[in-house]
Amino acid sequence: MRRSVSIAVLTTTLLFGAGTITGPKNVLASAQQKPETTDVKIDNFSFGPATLTVPVGTTVTWTNRDDIPHTVVSTDGVFKSKVLDTDEKFSFTFSKAGTYPYFCSIHPKMTGKVVVQ
Amino acid sequence: MSKGFLGTAAPLYADLTLLLEMAMSVGLLVGAALARLGRFRAHAWCQASIVLLNLVMIGFTMLPSFHRLILPKLPSTIGKPYYALSTVHGGLGIVAEIGGLYILLAAGTNLLPEKFRIRRYKFWMRSVLLFWWTVLLLGMATYTRWYVNLR
Repeated sequence: MRRSVSIAVLTTTLLFGAGTITGPKNVLASAQQKPETTDVKIDNFSFGPATLTVPVGTTVTWTNRDDIPHTVVSTDGVFKSKVLDTDEKFSFTFSKAGTYPYFCSIHPKMTGKVVVQ
Repeated sequence: MSKGFLGTAAPLYADLTLLLEMAMSVGLLVGAALARLGRFRAHAWCQASIVLLNLVMIGFTMLPSFHRLILPKLPSTIGKPYYALSTVHGGLGIVAEIGGLYILLAAGTNLLPEKFRIRRYKFWMRSVLLFWWTVLLLGMATYTRWYVNLR
């Protein structure tokens, strides 16, 4: 009986101990994995910034601040927004490293680039 | 998508459409002048070619653009000037084209039944010409609103 109680106490201690040790690690890990968000402003017939460098996993959000519709279309067909009216947004999460050129399909002179490292 | 050559933000097809529409509208005035000079056969060929070419332009450039950019946003965005302008231009443009085709059928063929033929040719031809030019000016305004940075 006394042996069983000891085993139970030991097991409980180990479990709580493990929880105490692993707890902060999980918090740290989730803080590291929290996806970053970066904004690109569409204004005055241009993307700003025109070239954006972000880490893998970043979500980029384009917001149309112009008074005319625009689109955000990847040159390589990776992403494509609908027609964005004033103040409408489009987001895309970059899960692979690389360079992603894009343009506005309504105004092809408007170009930009996202560099994912 | 290819960039335009007029120095605006427009794509190539929009620049070409604008220039062709302007040229065709001037061509209709030339055709009207031919009628005044009594060269009716040349007048008929000139106006018929332009009306039919415009039908091709509508089918290949303007209608697909309208379907892609404007139609999905209607009717909720009709209050916004660039959608309103495009919609009015599109609607009146279809009416002008139908008017042109009707005159072609009525004046140049015997396809229409007697009761659908027109009598006052000059009146209807001049009306459609005036309407056509109104649509052209609306089209130029639409181009400016969509592709020219006014700020």
